Amino acid sequence: MKSAAIIGVGQTGYRRSHPDKSSRELIWQAARLALEDAGVGIDGIDVILAGVAPDGLSGENSVERTGMLGRRKPFLRVNTGGVTGSSTVFAALSYINSGRAKAVLVVGLERMGQATSSQQVFNTIFDPIYEKDFPLTTITMAALRASMLMRLYGYTERHWAEIASRSFRNALRNPLAHLRKDISPEDVLASQLLAWPIHRFEACPMSEGACAMVIVAPEHVGDRRPAWVQGAASITDSYAMGDRIHRPGATLVDLLSLRLAAGKAYGQAGITRPRDELRVAELYSAFSSAEAMAYPALGFCAPEDGPAFVEAQFTDSRLPVFNPSGGPQGANPVSATAMVRIAECALQVRGLAGERQVADVERAVATGQGGATQFSTVCVLGRRPVH
Amino acid sequence: MKNDEFVTIPGNWNFNFNYFAGESASRFFRELRENRRIMGTRTQEGGRVLVPARAFDDETMEPTDDWVAVGPEGTLETFTIITAAFPGLPEPPLVMGYVTLDGADTALINFIHGVDLSDINAAAKSLSKLPRVKVEFIDNPQGRITDFSFRLV
Repeated sequence: MKSAAIIGVGQTGYRRSHPDKSSRELIWQAARLALEDAGVGIDGIDVILAGVAPDGLSGENSVERTGMLGRRKPFLRVNTGGVTGSSTVFAALSYINSGRAKAVLVVGLERMGQATSSQQVFNTIFDPIYEKDFPLTTITMAALRASMLMRLYGYTERHWAEIASRSFRNALRNPLAHLRKDISPEDVLASQLLAWPIHRFEACPMSEGACAMVIVAPEHVGDRRPAWVQGAASITDSYAMGDRIHRPGATLVDLLSLRLAAGKAYGQAGITRPRDELRVAELYSAFSSAEAMAYPALGFCAPEDGPAFVEAQFTDSRLPVFNPSGGPQGANPVSATAMVRIAECALQVRGLAGERQVADVERAVATGQGGATQFSTVCVLGRRPVH
Repeated sequence: MKNDEFVTIPGNWNFNFNYFAGESASRFFRELRENRRIMGTRTQEGGRVLVPARAFDDETMEPTDDWVAVGPEGTLETFTIITAAFPGLPEPPLVMGYVTLDGADTALINFIHGVDLSDINAAAKSLSKLPRVKVEFIDNPQGRITDFSFRLV
């Protein structure tokens, strides 16, 4: 892969809803901040790519209109469910690596604050023929896996609560986060049980907001402080969760698509010891169990060592810092969430993450997970380009 | 209108759809309605038995036109106990899980009945032992996935 660099990041900040802004205003605000950070005007941008996921969540059936910015430029809208945000970034990388663009503006928008029936919309993302008559939602889908992880590897409800609480507490240092409450593991366990073993405070919030970035070819970095894209890979898996139950070597709780994407991205970045070489991990973990499944897929520990790895994070300061922004627990603007993971990693390696800055971030990894994890993306960012 | 007042415009999507189930699911549903049996499909080369029936095996992209009856008993693989009400979905508490029917290589999702839900943690503990279940049909199958569910053996 050729090099590309992120030189501008803009975020609106995330809330349950932004009743003071139209969708166009939200996306414009993030885009302006990103262009300002990059020190370029809209004239310096060759292509604009917008990521917006299920139209039903915004109730706007032509969000390609909403996402369109500028004039006289190529424009594409991307939609791959939960990985929409990272897919949009990866599409930008393809434009740059192929030489078809020198500078790309990517924008990710989530407008679900407009949806007053969002859980019903989420139910419609499942297969309408064999699945829609069951109470499948993002929450129950996570619960089906969490119970399997508990049975196979000894995770307890306490582990789920500790992961969620850690993310909430990290979000206290992120002024852009939607939920900024000091929620303890005990608070998580005491919150309403939604679908065993998932409690209310273990589920990510529903947030809206917009994220934007300016991504350029190496010769256009100029005097800006870049986050270099060292590796980026996107892999798919079978949608059917029931087909993965008995699959040798990659069951329902082994994130095959994430493992393969990590292998490719690490290969491009020259990473062989992820636990030592990555200082920050911004994971698309809408639930604690999703984070637990990501540890072995990203090479941080063996599956059976997962529970001990959760405990070690609180005592071993050499381990990577997980979700310093608070991750999806702090804010989950679905269409934008996977782009936010990359944006937060870019801020960390550029040293611009403010109060949530982790010291000496040479390299960081951002993940994206979409649908029934049939889509995964892994993006490695670093202070230096890979040669 | 005050200068700091933001306008909210009400909206509603209420569209109707007819989902085209396709060839394989249509036969799967006919088998439920007429023969009260669960069918899977596999490739003629003796590939894995996919349940519910599919037109092709997405590992190989080969057609799965060999039909096989599976069940009526099977094993629970993983589950959740839904304890909170979600708008538009059935009333809790209820158990939903993936079950591998005897003779199948994949699991399918449905409700699990016959579980004592008076103590949720105790129910979770007993379901974690992955009990055997059997297919239970409704009285008048309609040719829908809701024609059956699972009950603890």
